[in-house]
Amino acid sequence: MRISPVKTTTRKASIAALICMSATAMTVQACTDLSETPVSAISPDNYYRTQAEVIGGLAGVYAGLRNTLDEYWNISEVSSDENIVPTRGSDWFDNGKWLELHRQTWTPTSAAGVDNINSAWVNLWAGIARANVVLNALKPNQVENQAIIESELRALRAFYYICLMDMFGPVPIVTTTEIKQRTQDSRADVFKFVETELLAARTALPAKWDAGNHGRVTQGAVDAMLVSIYLNARVYSGTVTTAGLTPGAARWQDVITVADRVINSATYSLASNWNANFNHTNQTSPENIFVVRFSVIDGLGFNHNMKSFHYNIANFGGWNGFSTIAETYNAFDDADLRKKIFLVGPQNNLNTGAPVLDRAGNRLIFTPIIRDATQAAENEGARIYKFPIDPAVTNQHQPNDFPLYRLGEIYLSKAEAQNELGQTAAALAIVNTLRARVFTPAKPLSTALAQTAARTAIYNERLFELTNEGKRRQDMIRNGTFNGAWSFKAVSAPFRILLPIPTGQLATNPLLKQNAGY
Amino acid sequence: MKFVRVLGALTAAMMWTVQAHAQGATGTITGKVVDSTSQAPIASAAITIVGTQRGTLSRVDGGYTLTGIPAGTVTVRVTRIGYSAFQQTLGVTGGGTATLDVALKPVAAFLSEVVTVGYGTQRREQITGSVATVKGADANVGVMPNVNGMLAGRVAGVNVTLNTGEPGAGAQVRIRGGTSISASSEPLYVIDGVPINNVETEAGGIGLGGSPSLPRSPLTLLNPSDIANIVVLKDASATAIYGSRGANGVILIETRKGTAGSSQLEYDGYSAMATVARPLDILNGSEYRAFVQQQVTAGNLASSRLTGLGTANTNWQDELTQTAMTQNHNLTFSGGTADTRYRASLNYMNQDGVVIANGFERLQGRLNANTSALGGKLQLGLNLTSSQVNNRYIAFENTGGFEGGVFNNMVNFNPTRPVFSATGSNPYYEVGPGRQSVRNPVALANQIADNAVTNRTLGNVTGSYAFFSSLTGSVNVGVDRSGSVRKNFFPAVSPSGAEFNGRARQVSRDVSSATVQTLLTFKPNLGESQEFEITGGYEHADYNIGEFGAEGRNFLTDAFSYNNLGAGATLLPPFSFRETSRLASFLSRANYSLKNRYFLTGVVRRDGSSRFGEGNKWAVFPAVSGSWRVSEEGFMDNQTLFSNLSIRAGYGIQGNQGVAPYASLTLLGADGGARYVFGSTVFTGVIPTQNPNPDLKWEQTAQSSVAIDYGLKDNRITGTFEFYNKNTTDLLLTVDVPQPAVVPTQLQNIGSVNNRGFEASINAQILNGSTRTLSAGLVLSADRNRVESLGAQQFIASGGVSGQGQSGRNSQRIIPGQPLGTFWGPEFVGVDAAGKQLFNKYTVTRDASGKETGRTLAGTSTSPSGDDEMILGNSQPTFSMGVTSLGTWGKFDLNMLIRSDVGQQVFNNTALVYATKSNALQDKNFLRSALTDGIGIQEPAIFSSRYIEKASFLRLANVTVGYSFKLPGTSGRNGPTRIYLSGDNLLLFTNYSGNDPEVHAASGLASRGIDYLAYPRARTLTTGMRIGF
Repeated sequence: MRISPVKTTTRKASIAALICMSATAMTVQACTDLSETPVSAISPDNYYRTQAEVIGGLAGVYAGLRNTLDEYWNISEVSSDENIVPTRGSDWFDNGKWLELHRQTWTPTSAAGVDNINSAWVNLWAGIARANVVLNALKPNQVENQAIIESELRALRAFYYICLMDMFGPVPIVTTTEIKQRTQDSRADVFKFVETELLAARTALPAKWDAGNHGRVTQGAVDAMLVSIYLNARVYSGTVTTAGLTPGAARWQDVITVADRVINSATYSLASNWNANFNHTNQTSPENIFVVRFSVIDGLGFNHNMKSFHYNIANFGGWNGFSTIAETYNAFDDADLRKKIFLVGPQNNLNTGAPVLDRAGNRLIFTPIIRDATQAAENEGARIYKFPIDPAVTNQHQPNDFPLYRLGEIYLSKAEAQNELGQTAAALAIVNTLRARVFTPAKPLSTALAQTAARTAIYNERLFELTNEGKRRQDMIRNGTFNGAWSFKAVSAPFRILLPIPTGQLATNPLLKQNAGY
Repeated sequence: MKFVRVLGALTAAMMWTVQAHAQGATGTITGKVVDSTSQAPIASAAITIVGTQRGTLSRVDGGYTLTGIPAGTVTVRVTRIGYSAFQQTLGVTGGGTATLDVALKPVAAFLSEVVTVGYGTQRREQITGSVATVKGADANVGVMPNVNGMLAGRVAGVNVTLNTGEPGAGAQVRIRGGTSISASSEPLYVIDGVPINNVETEAGGIGLGGSPSLPRSPLTLLNPSDIANIVVLKDASATAIYGSRGANGVILIETRKGTAGSSQLEYDGYSAMATVARPLDILNGSEYRAFVQQQVTAGNLASSRLTGLGTANTNWQDELTQTAMTQNHNLTFSGGTADTRYRASLNYMNQDGVVIANGFERLQGRLNANTSALGGKLQLGLNLTSSQVNNRYIAFENTGGFEGGVFNNMVNFNPTRPVFSATGSNPYYEVGPGRQSVRNPVALANQIADNAVTNRTLGNVTGSYAFFSSLTGSVNVGVDRSGSVRKNFFPAVSPSGAEFNGRARQVSRDVSSATVQTLLTFKPNLGESQEFEITGGYEHADYNIGEFGAEGRNFLTDAFSYNNLGAGATLLPPFSFRETSRLASFLSRANYSLKNRYFLTGVVRRDGSSRFGEGNKWAVFPAVSGSWRVSEEGFMDNQTLFSNLSIRAGYGIQGNQGVAPYASLTLLGADGGARYVFGSTVFTGVIPTQNPNPDLKWEQTAQSSVAIDYGLKDNRITGTFEFYNKNTTDLLLTVDVPQPAVVPTQLQNIGSVNNRGFEASINAQILNGSTRTLSAGLVLSADRNRVESLGAQQFIASGGVSGQGQSGRNSQRIIPGQPLGTFWGPEFVGVDAAGKQLFNKYTVTRDASGKETGRTLAGTSTSPSGDDEMILGNSQPTFSMGVTSLGTWGKFDLNMLIRSDVGQQVFNNTALVYATKSNALQDKNFLRSALTDGIGIQEPAIFSSRYIEKASFLRLANVTVGYSFKLPGTSGRNGPTRIYLSGDNLLLFTNYSGNDPEVHAASGLASRGIDYLAYPRARTLTTGMRIGF
């Protein structure tokens, strides 16, 4: 058969094209593999195999401590008489949530309920979830120092549970990682769980870490947590109804026992300079037992002061919000060194020392009096400035550590327990050791006070000593003053010693039971 | 092949039936049907003998033969969509053959065109789905940096909202409403057959106290002058061929191709002048001074406030805005032979913003070549676009808190302060040295450097080969690669950079995708009355996105700008990420038509996406649709009203995979927020970054639609009426999960959304003379969107309110039974004697689950609580309308576009925050409307119905007048020279009090209709010309 040249070409091309098409079709099989392999993230299957990898997971659980300084701290402080966030024009109005916190008028659906309280709930649980992930991943593995790391994780998880129990009372005890609806355990059971976990974790932990690991959980940190829960045992192991607290058993002797273990451990001592516990070199404070670590690095710096700083008071500005109320400022003795934490009067730039002007260009003068919390002026309200910045650092990422527990508090807790057990003179003697470093000339309390007067004195001393350290709400609840009246706050219902579970959380987990009164 | 034989047998049987009727003395009519102007043969013209059932269709060569015609005088009618009907009487003799050649006169209608429908083309009348076409030349008017703008007001059911008036601004494009909540609601874009990955090509900006402005459009790489047609696939039967990505509609962009003939050289270009269309009304210096004086007298402000005022009288808005110039130049040459055609174009565009110190610049080259070889059996094509887009940004916010960028400070900054400082190293006036929470906005615009250059290449090669006349195979390989570097510098002299003593950052981003398509098309010849075509193929696509960035701070000098990061004494850890995903698909479509009257289309696509859980990666998306061209039926022969009448219906299922990759997996991330310091060392923290959902699967949209296509009076009036109903189920929704959880939310397939609507279009050829033509078009659409279910959640709060003192406040709620974009808050009723705002107070009753069962009005309150909040309105229009008009009058031509949205509401967040006198407590300025609102200076800005405004509008979007003539010195072969004058956004009728009612600030899930200090829109005048040499 004779084939014309054109046709040959055509046929050849046809064949070539067909082969080409089939080749493409054959690669199809290979192209239907759709498995996913992330490249810039890790899968848990190939992680947690070495100590270094596990410490990466551990660091993530520690990182949650920073979040406790957000809403957990805000609620603890603003719902007490230590802090108020007045509305200044529109500034800090925020749908009324800050004044709601101060007035204790929150509900599960209110501005504070869906914002601050919900964030506190979510952030604290995230710490627990992160700890559970690492603890469960470690179960089948064997890495160096595993017992220590597991103990740290359990202690950290217990710390987040203390905060949850403190605010929300009964919550589910969860040690696994699946996401599911769960019922609550009673507050007393959570208390027991925390105590058991802390005691178990304590054994493997070191008394002290080397300098390179400063900031990790120690036996002293666990003991401080124990002191804290024993001190609040009547609250934490009690129940709350609309009528208020039905207290559980007191654990005063346990407070003393564990506090003594800390005091006598020779690991900690009172700082002779009270400020050394808070200033930008407070990493070396001998008194701080467990801190939230900060560093002058973007995102890892301590920027707590921003909440109260005026816009122009430092080179890095401020948010001009949190202030204290006049009666709290006035409760401090003028001779008390600790009163210097308040910024009042004409202000100078904290970095440069130059006079600070307000927005309108006039000298900024802070006044302790807030005339109206719903319409405060730019300069109203004394500001708490307990954690002095490093003037050399011109941005908000400051190096101060935040003490979650320090020896000063352990002293006061022991004193309170002693007084409750009738050892009033001994208790006041302890308080006086703290007062000795902040009064020149010395101004000790009389050790002859009656138990009731001593109780008030110790309660007040905790205010002077621990202002802004996030303890005030606990102290007021334990002393029955939380529902009282103070500036811009009327008497509140006794069930408000517990916060409501935010509505959204009840919707996503209908097995949760709302706290009484809400 | 069996199928073909069956069809063949069927056809034969039908032919036989026709023959069988031919009894007695009969004759034959034969002839040829051609186009009266081009003399080109016309296929598929219907030739009928009036009053009988006898008829046939013309062949591809235009020829036809009618046999068995009873002898005598008969009337032959020849009709073809797109042409005037032809009718003639002639005599037929028994056994004889009469010849009747017919030249049909085309009518000005779109119906005869061949339309790209995705993986192929179809004649307009064959299309059984909802497909709309916009001609590039008609829509490319005025200043058009972005192809999305070409769709606005021109297609029923397509809603285009530019985010802001920024040059190159991104847009929200919604086809038949938004179907999704958490996943993307953006349509799929397909350029020359290649689906593109329409994600941002540049890294995000840095916010100044808020979230940075929304990204500019990634589609600016395309030059609108290169676009021949934009085809919008709206319903399931049209989009199902795109399966998993079709749920939000598909936009097919076809670029212009070369045509055979001698080479053509063409220049077209324009220059434009733009000004701010509607400035904000802000107090000037003396008014502000008078206000402070009055408040000092009233005792509301300290007297020191008066002495603290400056002496200047600065209109910050005037200082920040300008008459902005745009220039655009295109040079095109094209040509070729019958076998090989090419078109090459070069484009340069430079658009300055109406706000100073920002703009958009594009340099783009494009090449298209097609060749046909082997006697037409092999077709090869190439499209290559390479562009460089240079975006110059200024710092403004999408959403924001109490500090902010240019527009926030434009309103806030005290107008008694000067622009420039008399003293100090910084030429600009600032309130003080170092960081400031109010900042000179002119300095912010000029001192902060924020630039990004994107290089993007988009190309595809196609090859098709006809193995047989009925079987064609084709391959389409496309690549899309972009690389960009975004560079930011905040100098130490600026209050925005002082805190860091200078802050410089560079972030590179690369986005690439590669697509391979292989298709086989089988189209057997089934005779004259039937057509059948089946296309099957495979498609594979790979997507890859990565970023790398570094930042330096603490510079000795501002001189380095962003060019020497290492000179910073403080270096932030560099950051990077990469993610990849893949899509594999098998697709098939079959079209069958009978007698050019009955059309049936079936589509099946099996799609696999790497983004979903094991076991849920594959899904099948089917669709079926049909149409009946009633006008082709015999019983329509004796009417002259309808030149075309067609009924269409379709149903199909499409998917949405618009979620991030890896969502089904447990991922551990070295998240910055998980770092912790032990000792003095920062330890990398590794935490789970999401709650995995191994059951994650496609979001599915089932859509049904029915439509009528009509042509009246020889198609002088054409159009469509269409109804659709879309049910989206298994919504990809981010929902809260029970605690404890590593993060509070999880992506789940929960809930459903319904969209139903009506679309109409009318095109009328009003004048059709040789020197005067006038046509007008109207598109109308009404979409009703409703959230059907959100799973266990009663609502999702969205639409976060921006501004000082607004944190935690939301303006919208997604609620089952309500549309997306429902506004939620307290009802404002007035102002009391003390200058406090009053709101309706309600007593609400609830059932056990906490669901509201009733509410009664219980007076008013100055501090609304949760119970006082209710539905305040909705941001979705009742209907949208576009009117176009095209006309010629001798050498003059006119093109006009009017757009209107009616019934929607907008949350004027700008007014909430900046029309509040209490700003003056902080030495901040405010909008003039606050002077007379009766509200006290101490009253904070409280979100309420007061700021939910009616935002219906009618906009004269564009008017273009052109004049065409033969320019001496040009050959005139390539068309006349045309000069034109064009105006954009000339008139706006609205009661909305803000800057512009068409706005989009993204603030939470599926939020829409929020206006927060948007970059102002321009009114633009353009002069341009085109010369064909």
